[in-house]
Amino acid sequence: MSDISLTGGAVGASGGPPRDAVSTFEAHRAELRATRRVWNIIILAAFTICLGLSIWISQFYPDRLANGVPRIFEYFATIIPDLQWDLLFEGRDEAGRAVAGSLTYWYTDFWTYVALIWETILMAITATLLGTAVAFVLSFPAANNLAPNSWVYWLSRRFLEICRGIPEILLALVFVFAIGIGPLAGVMAIAIHSAGALGKLFAEVNENASSRPVDGITAVGGTWPEKMLYGVVPQVAPNFFSYAMLRFEINVRASSIIGFVGAGGIGQELNRVISFYSDDRVLAVLALVVLTVTVIDLISERIRHRFIGRENF
Amino acid sequence: MSMASITAVSAAQIDTARAAHPGAFDTVGGQIRRWFPWGLAIVYVIGSLWYFDVGRLLDASDRVLALLRNFVVWQDMETWQYANIYRGIAQTLAMAFLGTLLGTIGALLVGFLAAKNVMPIALVRQIVRRILDVLRGIDQLVWGLVFVRAVGLGPLAGVLAIFVSDLGTLSKLYSEAIENIDRKQVEGIRATGAGPLGIIRYGYIPQVLPVFISQSLYFWESNTRSATILGIVGAGGIGMILIERFRASLYDQVAFVVLNVLVLIFAIDWLSKRIRLWAVGEKHDG
Repeated sequence: MSDISLTGGAVGASGGPPRDAVSTFEAHRAELRATRRVWNIIILAAFTICLGLSIWISQFYPDRLANGVPRIFEYFATIIPDLQWDLLFEGRDEAGRAVAGSLTYWYTDFWTYVALIWETILMAITATLLGTAVAFVLSFPAANNLAPNSWVYWLSRRFLEICRGIPEILLALVFVFAIGIGPLAGVMAIAIHSAGALGKLFAEVNENASSRPVDGITAVGGTWPEKMLYGVVPQVAPNFFSYAMLRFEINVRASSIIGFVGAGGIGQELNRVISFYSDDRVLAVLALVVLTVTVIDLISERIRHRFIGRENF
Repeated sequence: MSMASITAVSAAQIDTARAAHPGAFDTVGGQIRRWFPWGLAIVYVIGSLWYFDVGRLLDASDRVLALLRNFVVWQDMETWQYANIYRGIAQTLAMAFLGTLLGTIGALLVGFLAAKNVMPIALVRQIVRRILDVLRGIDQLVWGLVFVRAVGLGPLAGVLAIFVSDLGTLSKLYSEAIENIDRKQVEGIRATGAGPLGIIRYGYIPQVLPVFISQSLYFWESNTRSATILGIVGAGGIGMILIERFRASLYDQVAFVVLNVLVLIFAIDWLSKRIRLWAVGEKHDG
């Protein structure tokens, strides 16, 4: 574009097309549009190739979809409970049997579900506490401004990466194999994953902490743990707390599905009812899970806001 | 500053100071109040671990050792059916791609329905939003399980699971992006006498497109990650191969597949960051 001249008249007079400002602009625009068009075609081609390959590999053909979609609706129709308004609040009859069409009938195993959801929440709390503890300890050596030396930094970083790189459910699979079916496997798996994820976030918070309090502690002869405890922790504690609460919300979701591989909680029941029954039990459990997750989210949000408000953060 | 000035503070002076400024000194009650939550947390963790039979961790050592040995010692590597593994990985990528694409297309429509400034009818908006809440509230893995039940084992169930859970999340993000746009551009287009579709095309889309593209690319990345585990419930992809070989006690092959998955995830992270940087000029790393 070096030959663009805005003093059009003089150039136009020396032969060739007139090169006033408007035609220069138009020429430039046409050039840009041409480049743009080439790129658009390249992107479109790449996209089409990806799309074609994806459809071919996952066999996502229209006829399969046409066969599948009606079955989805059929399935959803079977899991809708058959509730009747007039019988909705009927209790059990003399024989202890619930009346079909009542809520009691729909939620026959209500207390089993409640016990499992309780277990799910306990799993999430324990895993969050354990994960937070590990993340807390490792976040100081994993912060590049605080690490005592480079190999500790490198080691703790890689450790945290491995912890959060492996999906929880895979870890749970391994733990179920190693220590048997039950909530402990789920707790361990979620704790390890949370440690990795939280450790990274905590380390980032630490890296943003002011170095002045740390310098102060150094000046009075504090050791490394003292520097962390009195110099860094008071600055970062509110953030740590807020991240840990967010993680708790995530962990409630995780622990409600980790039972799919036998690692305890409501997931085990969810897996059972979805895989083996095709009736209203599926919706009963699903509704309870969604309700629990929503309620926990709301409570946790309240706590976070209140805590952060109190710290004037 | 000499030590003398510090040792010169007598016990009596400290007592006077304590009497004058009680708040500056620690009390037993304060100590208890400070440490109580920590004590509670520790008691809770110990109690719950006991409740969850933590002792089983100790009994597991020989099984863990056997497992770890199998993870590390790779045998009969020529019989591992690599074609199968890489087809699984390709399937995972394809599932994530198709699921995100369908989710994006769906969210483009639904996002406008859930946005306050486009959808004037509050009832429709609220219904759409509540449906989206439900789609989002149920985990992707649960959707996977449900769709496996509905349409059978295989990648179709995985694509649908990704589609449905993405539809819930992306529509919400899209509708928020639409609500946060600059009104002036929309009013300008309206002033030229454009119809509703024209207003959306020239008033809304240019403002929200970068956000949309960035979100969708981000979801594509995170879906690749979650598509690797969707197979555990039978919804196709590498997860299915993983769990088949795990069930068949071929732990060395499991370790190999997991390593491949980790490499894949890192590669996708890098690629997606690159594409986002290039497509929308994002400066910060997402």
